[in-house]
Amino acid sequence: MSKPNNANPRTWRACMVCAAVQSEQQFRNRGCPNCDDFLELRGSVDAIQDCTSTVFEGVITLTDPMGSWVAKWQRLQGYVPGMYATKVVGILPNEYISACENAGVKYIPRDGSSIEDEQ
Amino acid sequence: MASFMNQEFPDEEEEDDFNPAQQDDSDNENDDAPDADDDDDNVPSKNARRGRDDRAGDERSSSKRAQDEDEGDDDDDEEEELEEEEEEEEEEEEEDDDDDDIEGQPSRKRRKKQRRNQFIDVEAEVDEEDEEEPEEDDDLPGEEMHPDDLQELPIGADRDDRKHRELDRQREAQLQVDAEEEAARLKERYGRQARASGATGAIVPQRLLLPGAEDPRIWRMKCRPGKEREIINALRNRTIQYAGSRDPVEIISAFERGGTNSPMAGNIYVEARQVADVEKALNGINHVFMGTRPFMVPMEEMPDLLKVRKTKHLEEGMYVRVRRGHYQGDLGCVDEVEANGTDIVVRLVPRLDYGLNEDSNAPTMDEILPNGQKRKRIKPITARPPPRLFNENDAKKKHAKYLQKGALTNNIWTYQGKEYVDGFLMEAFKISGLQIDDVNPTLEEVSRFQSGEDGAGNMDLQSLAATLKGSRGGDFLPGDKVELFRGEQRGVTGRSVQVYGDVVKIKVDNNHGALSGQTIEAPIKDLRKLFREGDHVKVIGGSKYTDEVGMVVKIKDDRVTILTDSNQQEITVFSRDLREAEDSGGATSDSKYALFDLVQLDASTVGCVIKVDRESLRVLDQTSNIRSLLPTNISNLIERRKNAVATDRDGNEMKVDDMIKEYSGEQKSGRVLHLHRNFVFAHDRESTENAGVWVSRNTNVITVAAKGGRANSTGVDLTKMNPAMKRTGAGAAGMAPPQQKGRDRLIGKTVKIRQGPNKGFIGIVKDATADIAKVELHAKNKIITVQKDMLSMIDANTGKVIEGGIQNLSLGRGGAPGKTPGYGGGSQTPARGFGSMPSGGRTPAYAMGGGRTPAWKQDAGGRTPGYASGGQTAYGGGGLGGSTSYGGGTSYGGATSYGGGSVWGGAGGQSTWNPNTAGGRTPAYASANSGSKTPAYGGLEAPTPGFNSAPTPGAYQDYQTPGDFRDAPTPGVRNSYQTPGGFPETPGPYSAETPGDFGPRYD
Repeated sequence: MSKPNNANPRTWRACMVCAAVQSEQQFRNRGCPNCDDFLELRGSVDAIQDCTSTVFEGVITLTDPMGSWVAKWQRLQGYVPGMYATKVVGILPNEYISACENAGVKYIPRDGSSIEDEQ
Repeated sequence: MASFMNQEFPDEEEEDDFNPAQQDDSDNENDDAPDADDDDDNVPSKNARRGRDDRAGDERSSSKRAQDEDEGDDDDDEEEELEEEEEEEEEEEEEDDDDDDIEGQPSRKRRKKQRRNQFIDVEAEVDEEDEEEPEEDDDLPGEEMHPDDLQELPIGADRDDRKHRELDRQREAQLQVDAEEEAARLKERYGRQARASGATGAIVPQRLLLPGAEDPRIWRMKCRPGKEREIINALRNRTIQYAGSRDPVEIISAFERGGTNSPMAGNIYVEARQVADVEKALNGINHVFMGTRPFMVPMEEMPDLLKVRKTKHLEEGMYVRVRRGHYQGDLGCVDEVEANGTDIVVRLVPRLDYGLNEDSNAPTMDEILPNGQKRKRIKPITARPPPRLFNENDAKKKHAKYLQKGALTNNIWTYQGKEYVDGFLMEAFKISGLQIDDVNPTLEEVSRFQSGEDGAGNMDLQSLAATLKGSRGGDFLPGDKVELFRGEQRGVTGRSVQVYGDVVKIKVDNNHGALSGQTIEAPIKDLRKLFREGDHVKVIGGSKYTDEVGMVVKIKDDRVTILTDSNQQEITVFSRDLREAEDSGGATSDSKYALFDLVQLDASTVGCVIKVDRESLRVLDQTSNIRSLLPTNISNLIERRKNAVATDRDGNEMKVDDMIKEYSGEQKSGRVLHLHRNFVFAHDRESTENAGVWVSRNTNVITVAAKGGRANSTGVDLTKMNPAMKRTGAGAAGMAPPQQKGRDRLIGKTVKIRQGPNKGFIGIVKDATADIAKVELHAKNKIITVQKDMLSMIDANTGKVIEGGIQNLSLGRGGAPGKTPGYGGGSQTPARGFGSMPSGGRTPAYAMGGGRTPAWKQDAGGRTPGYASGGQTAYGGGGLGGSTSYGGGTSYGGATSYGGGSVWGGAGGQSTWNPNTAGGRTPAYASANSGSKTPAYGGLEAPTPGFNSAPTPGAYQDYQTPGDFRDAPTPGVRNSYQTPGGFPETPGPYSAETPGDFGPRYD
């Protein structure tokens, strides 16, 4: 995600786990910058279809993930700088959720449901 | 155990608070305690730990109290530190506070302060305390054995106890080692992901992440709406481009919350340390409006900028609307949701014209202009075809090539690349292309989906409810009884006082302790309206039951079942759609059609509305079928024709509001609502079936009672109305008496009653009709009704009976009676002149009154006048064509008398005279000397035919039939029949007929 993103915004997809936004091509070539260790999106069109969504809102460009309150609020702290979405709509299949859990990553749905549950 | 400890703990805590020195004592107490178990030594530590936990918890709820405790703790800490680390001074501790990472083990005071500032660390450090304090506590009882233990226990037991403690310590140490190993192992395993998992681990509640003073601030900039993402992307590219350069972009992050219908469209937000960074970063980026200075978002509003509202989860059967494209705004039914939750297959009612409106001459290929560009085809703007289920037969007409049959069994077609199942279009949408909230499907739209394969029966209200659930409205109004069902104040009830935005101010009811009577604020989403069984409520929106009023019978969560007032139906609605109803009464329908209206269903069918629902009607059509219709299915309303008339089975007339009865069948009865063609719609108050409405053919009902008591039982004699029948009948029955016009001249006359119970009484006629009179009797002050022929007129002065006076009065017409031949001028008329004759004394009118025509009179007794006149006057006539011809004159006189009734008046009198005085001269002469001139002469005398005919006997022949007379009004024609011989045979008929016809014609 350190390269400029010149892809057509229509092809953008957002990772359902970390909300990183990339074009589908980038997901295929490089995988998810944060979650690829357990989601293994690189080169897998199916996994990209399952774990990323074209329906997302509120694009964030994050330059300083550690110093940013936005990152803290969005639970993006510790992620790589790059483009993220505020809200990602989609349902992550169960096998990927368990993959997250096994990797020690708590899966937080990014479609707004977690916030409503909390309150 | 836990509760026991909790109970025990506060004592210890208080001791800590108020007398810190006692800590040793408490330890001593432990030591002194007899029969202390192995566990005993753990108890205080656990207590202490729990106490801290509690304190931490207390801090959240009551900061003041926590403050007190902390002060106490500080004292406590100092004591401990004095004991343990006496060389450490307070100043150093304060230094510790500042740099936390330098000291391997932060002081307890510092930890306390941390606890106050950062809640998270409390949780995290509890473990450390656990590890630390047991050691601390263990040491104390371990080293200083409780005196009781030493006293009472045998030596072996004492040693045992120590061993126990040792074992515990070992175990604990082991555990600690295990945990460390585990942590190390895990760290080794996942260490490379440390960066990735930085934001994971324990989820910190978001409310603890609220921005603080040390966080960067966010600035808002205006930009061109719709270009937000582009700007963010440009900003990102610029950041990357300048990274590492001498002049890097120093913003921390930037984001947008644009999107369709987003209130935050047209803004971008930049997180930075200072406003100059923002301006520098955005300078020169397209679509950003640099004219306005960046606006710094207040800290408390920062979380709102990133608020995410959950997209409603779509399920099969829910209703959505299409946002864009050909079906924009159309209602769709979710047929399938792909596993990723973003791709939705929606069932739509297709809008197709199957190429029927296609312009066959339109170029199929884009035209290429000379400059190489393609000319854009301008699509003709055509109205969207109405939604209709797919019909393969229509498609085959012009577009058979685009049509493919899908599976053999099911009704699946592929047409122009789209799939149609059971007539519905199946189309896949992204969830962003669909409107999910505020769908508000109408019943009409929904019913289209139901009408497909399984009829309108099973409307899926459940899915409808699911669709409607998310829609918002002015849900709460001041005065509503509400209940908080979520959050800390769950269960609190009250009445809303004020509603603004998403917040409702509530005045809390009295049974809620400290909150009672207070006004609190609550977000709408935590509220629901509170109802109790038996409440009378009204549905205010959100469902098809709007405006229904009923009584609450069941409440489950936010679903309330009410029994409607209008039709005793149980309906279930959401509590937010209800209000307490002050008024009773049912739904006020705004339907165009009212109960009992007559409506046109199609060209040949009408029906009567028997039920008006909110969105549908029930109609009884003319064939007695009940139909449920939408108002749109009705072509128009037929105005009620109040004066429509029909004839029933018996030929009696039947009007609206008459009571009728079915002749056969169930013999239903009722009041006529509508008469339409051959059908009568009637309403029976006693019947409840079809709201009492029934329909029948006109010929199958009989009128029982007409409205307003029209005499219908006997029926109207239609023969009177039939001119043909009347003519034939008139010949037999004689001429009807001439119509009376004006005031009856009998009124005011003195009469004597000749017959009946009042025979002999004398009175004055007060009122009279054709054949009865009201007579005010002289003798009694009483008015009685008497038949006219039971009366005779008398002279008011002399009391002498005037013969025929009544008859004359009732028949004589015209101007001055004296001039009419029949009466006033009776002595002068020929008839009068023949007064000696039995009937001659009477005028020809008399003959008429007797039901005979003048002509008849002439037939029978006509000869006598003929003779008489012959003797006196008819020389001329006699000389001409015999006395009979003059008799014609007499008969003519009769004619005048009747003619006088209507037309003649004074002129008639004169004309009557003519035959007498100059009869010898004129008619006779005229016809004799110059037969052809007679008509002319007659014409001179008077224009009236009666007059014409009178002086010319010859003309009589023409009068044989009225028809002839009318057809040949010219005198010339009459002249052509001058032979008197024909006369005697025919006068009867003609004279009978003519007068009636004459009079009016010359009026």
